[in-house]
Amino acid sequence: MNMQVAQICDQVEIDRTIAAAIDHAGLLGTWINSNPDTTGVTRFVVTEDSGRLTVQTYAIGPDGVIDWGTADVTVFASSASARVATGFACRYDFGFGETFLQGMILKGLVVLAQFHTFKDDSNRAPFFVREYYALDHGRF
Amino acid sequence: MEFKESAHLDSALTDPATRTLNADKLIGRWRNTNTKTRGIAEITIKERDGKFTVTASGVGSDGPIPWPPAQALALANLEEEAGQRAVALAVNFDFDFMTAETYLRVNKGVLVIVLFVTFRDDSGRSNYVNREFFYRQE
Repeated sequence: MNMQVAQICDQVEIDRTIAAAIDHAGLLGTWINSNPDTTGVTRFVVTEDSGRLTVQTYAIGPDGVIDWGTADVTVFASSASARVATGFACRYDFGFGETFLQGMILKGLVVLAQFHTFKDDSNRAPFFVREYYALDHGRF
Repeated sequence: MEFKESAHLDSALTDPATRTLNADKLIGRWRNTNTKTRGIAEITIKERDGKFTVTASGVGSDGPIPWPPAQALALANLEEEAGQRAVALAVNFDFDFMTAETYLRVNKGVLVIVLFVTFRDDSGRSNYVNREFFYRQE
């Protein structure tokens, strides 16, 4: 097969007979913001049900925590030939605006990039926030 | 005003200056700090009338691979201290066989890009995320 590439790291050998889905076990669980003074996402919970991966996100509002509900997750590995998840993406549509989340695992933390755009007439600028989240592993 | 988090109510979001704050920190030609990269070799960011265009070239086996120019969305940056704030850019490089959803920001003079690559073909390749660093080419 003639494999198209945009960069040479995309030119990889894939054995189609053993190609497997990306192992997303490392993403599962509750991830808590390292910043107790955040004005955004406080934690998110990644779960799997019958192979379907979803995230439930919670953020801080003026009057307490706001549950954003669940969103389907797309999983990313560390390279075109890797089969272990090191990132994910999901999208929330709130009607008045949208938030796109891109998470990347670095040194055991998820670096969560949050892209907020507004569709209402509030004239708010789209904005970007990047925060760090640790897995609530409950061991120590 | 509707919101889903306190940051949605940040007064800086309605300040017109926020939309292009320190955009000059991003504009220019950038080269990968990693001479052995197998990813993006070079990036150029241009701004005209408040609109940003990003071009890139990937490392190929027979020379640079030009990526299609893409228009970027400028995003206000609320994460840094006020004096260090600069806009970040979100850009989607669209190929027939794959797409690279990318964000770019400057941190202490270094351009940091993160790509979330999704393959649309049936090559069996994994979608992947990659981060690279660029220095300004004067």
